[in-house]
Order: sequence, then C-alpha cells, then structure tokens
Amino acid sequence: MSILNFLIYLLTMIGIYGLLAMSLNFQVGFTGLINFGQVAFFAIGAYTSSLLVCKVGAPLIVGFVGGMILSGLFGCLISIPTKSLKSDYWAIATLAGGEVIRLVALNERWLTEGAFGVMKIPQPFKCYFTRDAYPAFYLAFIVICVILVYIVLRWLTNSPFGRNLKAIRDEEDLCLSLGKNTRTLKIQAMVVAGMVAGLGGALFAHYITYISPENFRPIETFLMWAMIIVGGRGNHLGAIIGALVIQLFNVSTRFVSDYLPFTPGFIAAARMVIIGILIVVFLQVRPDGLVKEKKKIYRIGNKDGGVD
Amino acid sequence: MLSVKEVRKNFGNLRALDGVTLTVASESITGLIGPNGSGKTTLFNVISGFYQKDGGEIVFKGRRIDGLTPDAIARRGLCRTFQIAKAPEKLTVLENMLLAADGQRGENPVAALFNRRVVSRVEKANLGRAVDLLTILQLRGLSNEYAGNLSGGQKKLLSLGRMLMRNPDMILLDEPTAGVNPTLANDLLKTIKGLQDELKKAFLIVEHNMKVVANLCTKVFVLNFGELLAEGTPEEIQQNDQVLKAYLGGA
Repeated sequence: MSILNFLIYLLTMIGIYGLLAMSLNFQVGFTGLINFGQVAFFAIGAYTSSLLVCKVGAPLIVGFVGGMILSGLFGCLISIPTKSLKSDYWAIATLAGGEVIRLVALNERWLTEGAFGVMKIPQPFKCYFTRDAYPAFYLAFIVICVILVYIVLRWLTNSPFGRNLKAIRDEEDLCLSLGKNTRTLKIQAMVVAGMVAGLGGALFAHYITYISPENFRPIETFLMWAMIIVGGRGNHLGAIIGALVIQLFNVSTRFVSDYLPFTPGFIAAARMVIIGILIVVFLQVRPDGLVKEKKKIYRIGNKDGGVD
Repeated sequence: MLSVKEVRKNFGNLRALDGVTLTVASESITGLIGPNGSGKTTLFNVISGFYQKDGGEIVFKGRRIDGLTPDAIARRGLCRTFQIAKAPEKLTVLENMLLAADGQRGENPVAALFNRRVVSRVEKANLGRAVDLLTILQLRGLSNEYAGNLSGGQKKLLSLGRMLMRNPDMILLDEPTAGVNPTLANDLLKTIKGLQDELKKAFLIVEHNMKVVANLCTKVFVLNFGELLAEGTPEEIQQNDQVLKAYLGGA
C-alpha cells in the first residue's frame, strides 16, 4: 500500500467516524443522553443500504436514504422508554439495543447472510473512475457529507431547538416547568442523531464493499466515545477532531508490528489499553476535551446596565 | 383561577398533604406560609404536575389539570419556580431568557432547518424583550455569563426573569426572595406587585418573611403538617392564635 493510498484510506475512515462521533456528540454532548449502543445506528445504516442495493436492487441513493431513515426510526424506537427509564438505566438499555442489532445481523441469515456478511456492495459512481482514482473521489464524497452534516447540525444546535436540548441536558425539570415537551424533544434529537450515524454506516458499507456482524461489535461504540471524550463534547468540531486523533492512532498502529518485535494480536490488545488510558487521562486532566463547548455570545449594545 | 380541592399526597406513611383545599383568585397575590416541612413545596409540586396527587382535584381556568404532565400544565399557562433556583449551567443568562419564551417556531427541528428566516425574526424580537427584562432585574451586565456561574440570589432573579419572559397567566413562586439582598428583594417584590397591577397576573407565593407577605398578599393560607391551619387576610393571620403558636410564635 503506497503512502498516498494509505493516507486516503485514513482520511476516509476519519470522515466516516467523524460522522458517527458527531452523531454521538449530538446525543451526549448536546442532549445529555448517554447512548452506549451507538454502533446500532452504524450497523442499521450499513446493512439497510447494502441490502436494499444488493438484494432488492434499489438504486444507491435509495439505499443511502433508506439507511438513514431506518436508523432514524431506530433512534425514535430506542428513545421511547426514556421517560420511564432513568438515564443510567437507559444507557444500559442502549448497550443491549446495540448488541441486539448485531445478533440479528448474525442470526437472521435469510436477510443478512449471517456471519458471511454482505459481499460485493456496489460503490457510487464507480464506472466513471479508474480503480486508482476512485478512492480519492470517495474521500471527496465523504468530505462533502461531513461538511453538510456539520452545517446542518450547527444550524440545529444554534436554533431554539438546540437550546432546548442543551437545557434538557443541564436541567430537565426546568424545561418541563417552562412547558417544553422534553420527551418529544429527546425523541427528535435521537432521530437526528440516528440519521447522521445511519449515513455514516451507509458510507462505510459502500466504501468497504463487504460488511459482516464483526464490523459492529460494542467496541466500536467505545471508540466513538473515546472520540468525543478526547475531542470534547457539546461542539461539533471537537467530535471531528476526536475522530481524527483516535483513528490516526487506531489505524496507524497497525504497522507497528512491521518494525517492532510484537505480534499483531498483542498490538491490537495494547491499542485498546492505550485508548483506555487516554480516556482516563483526558477525563482527569482535560475533562472538556481538546475543543471546549463554545459559549453563544449575543451582542446587546452598550447601554449601561447595573451590575452588582 | 386556581382551585385545589381536598388534595392528598403521601410519601409512604407520611401524609405530606392531607386534604388541602385552597383557591387563588385571578388578579391576586396569594401567600402560602407554614413551618418547614408543612407541605408548601409538596403542594407546589402537586399543582405543577411534578408529583402525582393521591387524591383530590385541581382545577385551573375551569379545567382539571391534575394528571397532566408538568409541561402540559405549563403550556396551559400555570408556571412555577423552584425553591432552589434552577439554572442550566452551560446556557448564558440571555439564553435562559430566550429559552423561556413561548411560541417559538424554531423549537421544531424541521422549522429550525427550513424556516430559518422566520425563526431568526422571532429570535430577534425575543432577544429585545429579554434584554429589557434583564435590565429591570439588574442582570443585564451578566447577559453573556453562564447561568451556572451566577450566585444563588442572581439565579432567583433569573428564574423570575424567565417567568416574565414566558408570561403565563398564573405564576407559582417558591421563596422568590430567599438569598436576594434586601434592596433588590424589595425591587423584586415591587416588580411582582407592579406586574399584578398592570398585567393582572395571579401569583401564589411561598414566603417566610411575614412582612413581605403582609405587604404583598391580599390573602394568605397557612399550612401545618400537611393540613390547612388557617386562611384569611394577612391581618387576620397575624392575629390567629393557632398560627402564632405553630409558625409565628417564636418571632
């Protein structure tokens, strides 16, 4: 693998995980919903899109949109119990939800091909590019998606809707006392997050061209968590930077075994240990992450108001 | 405007509210006093829907509101503040005010994305109103400060500010002046009084300072051990033997 190809691969993965981290950050950093099953959205987006295209024969665009919609629906479904489940119990429920999705993918062979996975997933606009040029195109495609999602999420979080979400995160009872239907708001937030992560899943499936339940183990969720812990919560840029740091580390350490006398198995395990340490260090030393939540400043002119 | 009939609330074997009946007329300021643990805040929580009652009924503007969720009750025009003022930590004072505004189209994510012109116009109008109110409350200089960094008293002011911003028909205030310095507390009470005169709002206020109650309220209810001990004008209450014994006695 040439350096350039590797770089393109790395950036593509950063883009995909950037979407997943932005989605998780939207739930955790903005709405205060602790989701330990984020990988479920990723899996649903990937499977829905590839199955729609491979099995149903739908056009790619239908696959992508279908993946986003179904993932958004799952977001709605999993947030319905949030009213009765306190947040920590809900976190456990989401962890289970993520595993349920993976186990369905593993066992419902008629639908998902089970452990064999879905193969030969077509790629968008493949025929217009040479084999060498295609990865660069796909990277550009992903960059555009990341930018669009970034803009849309920023619009949302800067709107009264986003303000309500932040208020739910900080003081849910206050929101209720001000007449906010916090239940609906949380469901809406989960649908938005689900659609973003579903897009990430679809982009992943059509990039890798082969997916199996192995791609969607709970560890993926924790990588996404590591991203928002390192990058910082409550702001979209932080999620992208977190994805960059963690993916850079995660992908590039694959080659360590070429230069150092460790087995790949040892390195895979060591990688997780190091990411774990990184999380602990960040939580202790820089709990806000690399990029802090930005305060929204309004300019209100300079009439002198009394300050005590 | 608000009538509470025979409302009961138990916590296990503890009868926090044991058949409380009271009414709050529109365009009036009604006081609710009583020793610590007498059930004042519990009553607030039941009226505002944060607790489910165990009996009785609550009627607001002619319709039953018991059984509704807190947000539905707030949308009917009955809002409350909290004894320990709540302030979303990472929202600025101004954002807190904007949060409270009623009828914001941009609270819907679809409108927030596809109807940005209207949303930002409403936002601008609300912003002007919020700044005016903050000026009255002497919080203007802190407009862009995180609400989490305010002092306890300032948070109290902010909760009143949110109420003014929201502008409901009736406001339940849980110790609005606790922790606010005397001068400002005075201003605050004047503001409440002015509001009631001007906008004909109804207030139900929990307050420990009898002077304040006498000054402000036209009617006072006294709770003790979850039961209504007395009701009447502030003058009547101050002469009531039972009340003096249970509550005002030491003073």
